[in-house]
Amino acid sequence: MTETIGTVPAIEINNILVRFQGKVVLNHFSMKLSAGEKVVVTGDSGLGKSTLLRCLLGFVIPNEGEIFVEGQRLTPESVWTLRTLLAYVPQEPELGQGVLEDWFKAPFSFRANAGLKKNFDRLPQLMERFSLSPELLQKEVSTLSGGEKQRAALITALLLQRKIFLLDEPTSALDSRNGKRVLEFLFGIPDASILAVSHDHAFLGLADRVIELSGKGETRAH
Amino acid sequence: MHTENISLWSLTGYYALFIIPFGMMIWLRIPIIGKTLSAVARMTLQLLFVGFYLQIVFKLNNPWINTLWLAVMVVVADLSIVKGCGLKLRRFIFPLLVALVGGTAIPLLAFVGPLLKRPNLMDAQYVIPIGGMILGNCLRADIIGIRSFYESLKKQENVFFHALSQGARLHEATRPYLRHACQAALLPTVATMATIGLVALPGMMTGVILGGADPMTAIKYQIAIMIAIFTGTAITVILAILISIKSSFTPYGILDPLAFRT
Repeated sequence: MTETIGTVPAIEINNILVRFQGKVVLNHFSMKLSAGEKVVVTGDSGLGKSTLLRCLLGFVIPNEGEIFVEGQRLTPESVWTLRTLLAYVPQEPELGQGVLEDWFKAPFSFRANAGLKKNFDRLPQLMERFSLSPELLQKEVSTLSGGEKQRAALITALLLQRKIFLLDEPTSALDSRNGKRVLEFLFGIPDASILAVSHDHAFLGLADRVIELSGKGETRAH
Repeated sequence: MHTENISLWSLTGYYALFIIPFGMMIWLRIPIIGKTLSAVARMTLQLLFVGFYLQIVFKLNNPWINTLWLAVMVVVADLSIVKGCGLKLRRFIFPLLVALVGGTAIPLLAFVGPLLKRPNLMDAQYVIPIGGMILGNCLRADIIGIRSFYESLKKQENVFFHALSQGARLHEATRPYLRHACQAALLPTVATMATIGLVALPGMMTGVILGGADPMTAIKYQIAIMIAIFTGTAITVILAILISIKSSFTPYGILDPLAFRT
């Protein structure tokens, strides 16, 4: 496990409560993700695992509790900066319209990523590593398979050089060989902090820590 | 040349032509008879009312009254857009009013001032019909543009979220939807410009010819009004969307469900 004593946690969640239409989705949940740590959150469907990741991005606002990313509290003012520290890979990435090459280029046109344009040179290398053919670059993104979309989202996360990865079932559409290759690569990045949501046993084995969400807001760490 | 007047009796008789579309509706059981009857009644009453009122406005030709008339038209258009787009009145009435005033005033004043060189910028004969034509098109373009913007954003919410997660500011993440909405709002006018004169004689040109002017003058007016409409719709749509963004997103950059009526 990574040595973390004395450093600011990558993520700190304090007692968050999330309610949707009167139903409690996350019940006073707390956790810390140390810098460089790889944690997998598991648990049955509907227990708020994806909601947890969306809370960290400010897409869902907890009714109670607070969230810190690299020591900064998530607020309407800080959320814009904090998002630039996070790489989010959704379970079923929706890439919109246009060809894949333009989709890869799009985030580099955002002011926050202006200094990262040189990272785009790593695209061919990453595509090869994740078994994506270069011909796909000229393909309409809506025609890509679920697995291709997932790998494209992972590649963008890596190109944007974020330190904290929020992965929502990132290998759910990949076959076991590609899934293993992706996981080993991600979990092998020493300074990357990973908070992943998954049922994948290959995932659980690679994690420093597994948090099991239960319906009553209790968590069990393994 | 002069415009032939239509007697009230003749016009009443002309309503008999409605027998054809109503007969068709009854025959095919098209379920819009009630709606059509109501629309015909509204058209008649509204135009009669406007006709009486405009007679007074034209007779007085007072710049303040003319401005007030335009202001009333803008407010009515504003309310129609807010209602037509399912937006919350209190949040959107002012931003959309600014967009409509901008989209109407700029091409209208350029039309009456530098183009026609009228000494009185608020001359009823020009500002009311030309202002009305620009405003009517702004209204249509705003409804198409605003609806398209929010509908495509809701439909592709996850794509939008992904852009935010990649570090996009709100203006950057909404840019593709703004582009799409402006295109949807401007395309009808682009299509009209491309076919104008070939498919049908446009309304303004017909009006100018009926008013006694020669066809060449009518064409010049028509070209000018098309420029005014296209410029006005472009200004109003982009302003309406950009200003409304401030009222329709939470401080976290998420579409605020409380901004919409449905």
